[in-house]
Amino acid sequence: MAAEHIIKSYDEELARLNKTIVEMGGLAESQLAAAIEAVAKRDSELAARVVEGDAAVDELQRELDNLAIRLLALRQPMARDLREIFAALKIGADLERICDYAANVAKRSIALAQTPPIQPVHALPRMGALALALVKDVIDAYVERNAEKALDVWRRDEELDEMYSSLFREFLTYMMEDPRNIGACTHLLFMAKNIERIGDHATNISEDLYYLVHGRALTEARPKGDKSSLEVVAPDRNGAR
Amino acid sequence: MSVSLASTTPPRSDTPAQPGESATVTPFPVKVQIRNVGFHYGKFEALKSVSLPLHDRRVTAFIGPSGCGKSTLLRILNRIYELYPNQTATGEVLVDGQNILSPGLDLNLVRAKIGMVFQKPTPFPMSIHDNIAFGIRLYERLPKSELDDRIESALRRAALWDEVKGKLRQSGLGLSGGQQQRLCIARAIAVQPEVLLLDEPASALDPISTQRIEELIAELKSDYCIAIVTHNMQQAARSSDYTAFMYLGELIEFDETERIFTHPREKRTEDYITGRFG
Repeated sequence: MAAEHIIKSYDEELARLNKTIVEMGGLAESQLAAAIEAVAKRDSELAARVVEGDAAVDELQRELDNLAIRLLALRQPMARDLREIFAALKIGADLERICDYAANVAKRSIALAQTPPIQPVHALPRMGALALALVKDVIDAYVERNAEKALDVWRRDEELDEMYSSLFREFLTYMMEDPRNIGACTHLLFMAKNIERIGDHATNISEDLYYLVHGRALTEARPKGDKSSLEVVAPDRNGAR
Repeated sequence: MSVSLASTTPPRSDTPAQPGESATVTPFPVKVQIRNVGFHYGKFEALKSVSLPLHDRRVTAFIGPSGCGKSTLLRILNRIYELYPNQTATGEVLVDGQNILSPGLDLNLVRAKIGMVFQKPTPFPMSIHDNIAFGIRLYERLPKSELDDRIESALRRAALWDEVKGKLRQSGLGLSGGQQQRLCIARAIAVQPEVLLLDEPASALDPISTQRIEELIAELKSDYCIAIVTHNMQQAARSSDYTAFMYLGELIEFDETERIFTHPREKRTEDYITGRFG
């Protein structure tokens, strides 16, 4: 962080803002890790704890918003301080969404655990591990105010998109092969989509951090690896099996 | 020192772009070009080779800690420093291309073109009407009806008319601080200057009067090139188009106000505006 303010309490308030973001980031990581574990181990109790744990993140976000509003109103921040607060507000919102998606994955894992295990379940934790790494790295980048590291996360999201695209095709194949897979695969598809969205929020945080550090927006076009929205499934010539 | 391209590319247009036309900026030409201006109080060097443009119909704010030279620079712009001994300015101040620091120039004409308002309201101990007539009479002989029209228009421009129209013959000293300051602004614009210099015009005023002055600055900039010295950074941010940050007699950074207050290029500027100056 930059040199200290003449008014010490201003520094303390900014430090609290920073601490709240880091705390939210820590929760986002643990919620996501637990959600993925719940899927992999078909552990509904763990999943239920993740769903319950979401309230704590919402509470932290409200705290963060209040802190930021207070700083804006009472300190009239400028330049770097202004960017710190602006970025904190946006990053806080992204972290809250990441936790929502983690809770959603957990919730679906409870339903999934009631169906017989199917093969593609194993692909999901792989995707989750990558998303978790992106979240972890972007939080580290925030702590270090490291725009380069943030940029790296921003680029790596493409990998997550590609994983999602290939999972999407895999799930479709399973569903076409055996309609009894449709229930489980639909849940898995939504879970994969949730995890893919987590990556997008990690890239949002990267962009906010880049702006915080450099004072200008990241204008480069982000590489996109998710082509699933363009995917067409042609019905089998002999009709669906 | 960081000086952006602002001298050639003004920040924005006041007139919205027409449909089908790209949002190009309407140029606000440079009215005053300050070039390598230095200043000495006796042996003390108060300004070191300062160069920057002041755009017409734009507000340029000067900020910086006490003693940074911002008021000194303003005092050079209408040569008011010459009233004091042992004060010398070097360099050039080109107003519409003419160097007003050149010795041959008629000082009265310089000051008619470049009006100044000070930190403390300075009404003369005479009626509101005469306060304004005084300046006009220095430069012009107008018939009474025309003089009265000019006074009314100056008071209207200074957003004071409605408050004083019934008591023009009463003393200017009887007005409130904020009204007195607007009276001084009316007096400055009554002689129809082209450049307005405001040296902390609101620092002795309460918040409401301060907002009136800021609103007035926003109104006046459609006609004048305005330079304002202020200690209040929020005021600079609110009321100016360009901001110059000065420190120890040097111009550290000059840029569009928006840029200065969101992401200045110089660390010293950043430290000052965020309250980190040791």
